[in-house]
Amino acid sequence: MERTVTVVPEDGLHARPASQFVETANEFDADIQLGRADEDDLVPAASMLAVTGLGVGHDESVRLVAEGDDAEAALDALEDILSTPEAKQ
Amino acid sequence: MTERTLSGIGVTPLSGVGTVVWYRPDADLPEPPAPEDVDGDAELARFEDARAAAEDELEAERERTAERVGEEEAAVFDAHVQFLNDPQITDGVTDAIEGGLPAEHAVQETFSEFVEQFENMGGRMGERADDLRDVRDRLVRVLSDGERVDLSSLPEGSVVVAERLTPSDTAQLDPERVAGFVTVTGGRTSHAAIFARSLALPAIVGVGEELQSVEDGAEVVVDGESGDFVVDPSDERKEAAAAAADVDVRHESVETADGVEIEVAANIGTLADLGPAVDRGADGVGLFRTEFLFLDRESPPDEDEQYEAYVEALESFDGGRVVVRTLDIGGDKPVPYLDLPDEENPFLGERGIRRSLGPDADLFETQVRALLRAAASADGANLSVMLPLVSTVEELRAGRERFESVAADLDAEGVENELPEFGIMVETPAAAFMADQFAPHVDFFSIGTNDLAQYVMAAERGNERVSDLGDYRQPAVLRAIDATVSAAEGEDCWVGMCGEMAGDPDLTELLVGLGLDELSMSAVTVPQVKAAVAETDTADARELAERVLQADTKAEVAEILTLDQ
Repeated sequence: MERTVTVVPEDGLHARPASQFVETANEFDADIQLGRADEDDLVPAASMLAVTGLGVGHDESVRLVAEGDDAEAALDALEDILSTPEAKQ
Repeated sequence: MTERTLSGIGVTPLSGVGTVVWYRPDADLPEPPAPEDVDGDAELARFEDARAAAEDELEAERERTAERVGEEEAAVFDAHVQFLNDPQITDGVTDAIEGGLPAEHAVQETFSEFVEQFENMGGRMGERADDLRDVRDRLVRVLSDGERVDLSSLPEGSVVVAERLTPSDTAQLDPERVAGFVTVTGGRTSHAAIFARSLALPAIVGVGEELQSVEDGAEVVVDGESGDFVVDPSDERKEAAAAAADVDVRHESVETADGVEIEVAANIGTLADLGPAVDRGADGVGLFRTEFLFLDRESPPDEDEQYEAYVEALESFDGGRVVVRTLDIGGDKPVPYLDLPDEENPFLGERGIRRSLGPDADLFETQVRALLRAAASADGANLSVMLPLVSTVEELRAGRERFESVAADLDAEGVENELPEFGIMVETPAAAFMADQFAPHVDFFSIGTNDLAQYVMAAERGNERVSDLGDYRQPAVLRAIDATVSAAEGEDCWVGMCGEMAGDPDLTELLVGLGLDELSMSAVTVPQVKAAVAETDTADARELAERVLQADTKAEVAEILTLDQ
């Protein structure tokens, strides 16, 4: 299961949004990976190092790939984080 | 044992006696043993234990920060926990241990690889490299089992000795338990020096490499006035230091010998500075540098958080005035979430009121709302606000109009608010020249001598090559002060001074003679300045000021002041 999402938060995939993203990815029973939309390489979404290491900024697109029982729910939750302008309290 | 004296730059007129605790956060690990001597399973278990302990520490710090500072700041600890448990990290460390390294070396090696990667990527990644370094150092500290000093739980009477102390180091120090600190590097305006003054800790900086010869556990005297660091002090020396530490603090307001009241207040940056300000007998706050509420965090404080901070400051003084300076961002004060432009001359660029009326208008509005509400709180009548770096009457008018229009918004929303006493900082030559035009529009001036000296003399603050030019005893600076005070005469406008100059007890008589109504300084010198005010006779002081204003050089100013002592 795959989805392409534009990163809305000002900070991009850094700091608080990245932290929430990784935390959420770890909550689901699914193998989730992500990469830049224009590149083939994927990294594990459960790794803070890997996620921040992608260096994705505001308004750039990422590709989310998930497999497993919760794949759809996981993608929904992650898309929600990436499309929310300010990280939620 | 004979005493030995090292000398550095004393940064607080305070003395302390204590025991040396060396703080070496970046000390090298000892050479690892040969791989065949490393018990891999035991090291893996040590790593797992350390990881659990580090996570507990981080959770506790997260809670403490959320409570004391705010949810936003606490979020950084979430990121630290995630790095700590990152599969790439744990796999890397496990591999390194299986390759024959002890746990701490494996941690050091694995993290350092990622730190380097992130650093090479530059930009925002550099900040992540700092986070990774923090997590690495924490793990290594836990693994070295207390061999590294934990600054937050030092024994009472510790004198911290270090190469340098960073803002995160000083934030951990408990001023109640630390008898002082001494560093190899640093100058009078370094972070550590400012920190020492605001918390009233005896401190010496810039001692040099000789400091390395002082051993852990040595008994020492820190004389923050002379800059003498005495190792193995004699009994007489210790008694003298203890006596000097016992300053005469006046909690009541102070008058000159002939009965003129002079307000002596403290400069504060954060709420942690309030305790020392009250303890040292400050009448109130003469400069609340609110930008410190906005620094070192990932997003700005909201209206309620600011309101609470202003109210807490007001409640700390029994009827004392609290002068809040609105945001002074830009220049030398970077803020991560604001995306400040790179300017060729940041001190001459978009900073202070220029940003509040420009790109930071939203931040300013939030601050104004919080201030107007605080002015309607129980002690709100004591609140004063002032705008930083004003250089034109239009800026003053625009700033004032913002307060009035936001007050009208609050009225419409049914939110209680009051317009506080309103003033400006005089820190540009433009403001000093135009002071007679500004005076009818304001309730007070506060002369910011650090910036005023920098701009009048065209001598950058903190640039040691021009520090003699940027000295506040330069005749041109004194004339700018005199022009400001004179312009306010006859208007309903009091004049205060905040900045290093106000806290120099050798200049108190001169400042009273120049006609200042209020002096605001780092908490530490409040008792000395109050004592100097009490000894001053205003007629003599005016005569002194007249003579000083005729001086043609800084040397002559200094000479007149010395002869007068």
